[in-house]
Amino acid sequence: MLAGLRIGKRAKIIDTSGADRLVRRRLLDLGITEGSEVCIKCKMPFGGPFMLESCGQCVGIRRREAQTIKVEEL
Amino acid sequence: MDIALLGNPNTGKTSMFNNLTGSYEYVGNWSGVTVEKKVGLLKKGTASLIDLPGVYSLNPLSKDEGVVTNFLLHDSFDRMLNIIDASQLERNLHLTIQLLEFGRPLIIALNMVDVASKRGIEIDVDRLASQLGTKVVPVIARSGRGCDELAEFVTTIESPSISSFTVSYGEEMDGAIERLARMLEGKVHHSVRWLTLQLLEGNHYVKAYLQSFIGREELETFILDTSKAILSNYEEKTIDHFIYHKRQEAIGELLRNSTYTEEENKQPLSEKIDAVITNKWLGLPIFFVIMYFLFMLTFDWLGFPLSDILDGIISGPITGGLEGFLSFIGASSFIHALVLDGIVAGVGGVLVFVPQIFILFFFISLLEDSGYMARVALVMDRLMEHVGLNGKAFIPMMIGFGCNVPGVMAARTIETPRERMLTVLLTPLMSCSARLPVYALFVGAFFVSHKALIVLSLYILGIVVALILAKVFSTTILKGETSFFVIELPPYRIPQGKALWKSTWEKGKGFVKKAGTFIFAGSVLIWLLSYAGPQGLNVEMDDSFLAMIGGVFAPLLAPLGFGTWQAGASLLTGFLAKEAIISTMNIIYFVPDEASLQGLLINSFSPVAAYSFMVFILLYIPCLATVATIKKETGSYKWTCFSMGYALLIAYLLSFLIYQFGTLLGF
Repeated sequence: MLAGLRIGKRAKIIDTSGADRLVRRRLLDLGITEGSEVCIKCKMPFGGPFMLESCGQCVGIRRREAQTIKVEEL
Repeated sequence: MDIALLGNPNTGKTSMFNNLTGSYEYVGNWSGVTVEKKVGLLKKGTASLIDLPGVYSLNPLSKDEGVVTNFLLHDSFDRMLNIIDASQLERNLHLTIQLLEFGRPLIIALNMVDVASKRGIEIDVDRLASQLGTKVVPVIARSGRGCDELAEFVTTIESPSISSFTVSYGEEMDGAIERLARMLEGKVHHSVRWLTLQLLEGNHYVKAYLQSFIGREELETFILDTSKAILSNYEEKTIDHFIYHKRQEAIGELLRNSTYTEEENKQPLSEKIDAVITNKWLGLPIFFVIMYFLFMLTFDWLGFPLSDILDGIISGPITGGLEGFLSFIGASSFIHALVLDGIVAGVGGVLVFVPQIFILFFFISLLEDSGYMARVALVMDRLMEHVGLNGKAFIPMMIGFGCNVPGVMAARTIETPRERMLTVLLTPLMSCSARLPVYALFVGAFFVSHKALIVLSLYILGIVVALILAKVFSTTILKGETSFFVIELPPYRIPQGKALWKSTWEKGKGFVKKAGTFIFAGSVLIWLLSYAGPQGLNVEMDDSFLAMIGGVFAPLLAPLGFGTWQAGASLLTGFLAKEAIISTMNIIYFVPDEASLQGLLINSFSPVAAYSFMVFILLYIPCLATVATIKKETGSYKWTCFSMGYALLIAYLLSFLIYQFGTLLGF
């Protein structure tokens, strides 16, 4: 799962179907979907959101959502 | 000729709009700066340019994005100008393809070519153009490079041909397009291909549009049949993913032929800055330090001395000059009093605070333009989630520190209706710049040694009350499960002096303009009400109409510590505009300048009553302009009345507690 990925490690998204419909749609708008390479830049404390990087752009998503996205470490 | 400006968020549409039209709109480095369409006239020629909110796709999720789809469906225009970010071509081209499918003349402005080349991306503009079948003009919108050629091109070219570029979605889709065309029987003038694709992607606006031509059930059957036919032939889970992947393939092909990427493993500066700014432990403290500096500069280090100088000028040379002039032309004592005690006191009392308001607006512009605003949303999300909101709701609230009206409007970028409603209702609790003069006056009189801290406490109180109420409302009247947070964090940009100044001026000029019109007229009226009474003209102030009106409220306000007709009357005018409170007080207390008003206030308020009064002003009611905006944004009288009612209740309760406990404790 994306949430388990360590900071700075790159991974490839293999399944987003577990995530909320709206979150999936918005990530798709930003070009983040199955097959995209992502990297976690930072994790906010106290269960806060994550900052992801993909194709040179940064995106913030919640930890809860990151727990539903399957990734494969590269 | 009407030209529509379209593009992804954060691609520099508004910068481009300003450069092309020479007029000035508000630029920020966060998604959702433009929430409503704006029209400007091109510098040369007769064409008008329409700036629309940034969208990733024509299938909208939030209300500001819906503005674009509605515009395409229902408004008339001649051509489209699509601005795309060269450093994020892949993502940007998804929108371009949808616009090409819409089937109107399109010209592409390829922005941020400098950023792209810094990241090792070189674009063969001519090849990209020939493949897309459109004109592509490289520009740098922030500095204005290439904008003149673009303007020239957009307006002079006779009729740009419609591109023949198409994405192939397979024969099932082609069949579906034909079927929808037969169902519509030529009743629509939009491209049926575009309508079909948008409908299948789940675009509600397009669906509603089509339902005015085709029966609901017939349309549903059409969607179901097509989805079944396509999904059974391809390995896809949903139809929108199918369409997305087909587009993605076409974009991949386009880019392979027209861009060259040099792999560079250098960490971009933006990411280095983020390593500190959004650091796990430093993120929140840095935000608070920035806010602290903002307040110290506005209220203490820089703002106060400047306001004092201005006060000296208004009460000294200007008043003196006017007095001399009025005596010289032999004006009657009535005119004398009207000008000096009414207009100069009322308008001058507000103008004194222009430096402080401009400093505040300058910093808000700086935060917006640099890209920090989106980071604030990220840093605050966890806290906001606890109260039933999301981090994005913090942006309208920060904007609300400048003025509540754009703050309430900025709530449109929030995707879920429940969170949007909450944000609209609570943004008026943010202490706007028009409330600032009231604080400045009172802290100057009562809390000289802790000016900035006392003011900061009011700003924080506004936020805390908003957060608590968010929790209360989201667990009672605005219940719901969905909370949604995905935010784009644009790269940091060094704000440009000129853009920054213009942005500050655009925000601040409203305040100056209001002083010259609304406050001017209000001051004349208030002065007349204080000059006239049941016994005639030139009565004692305590026997005036104003005292009678204010006196109605005085007994109600007594438990809060300021049960005088003066307070009642100024709070009444404060509903029209918060800074009118200061004008009214200046006229009522009949003083020429800020310093002597402060001297008088000490006699009519105790320090704890002064604090209670400031808290009441902070919360008691959104101003008239904000109320009108809330009505427009919520479309409901019920919620508009609610926004006023709850504010009044909370303000009364808090001021009551502060005054009663404060007095009890012996302050």
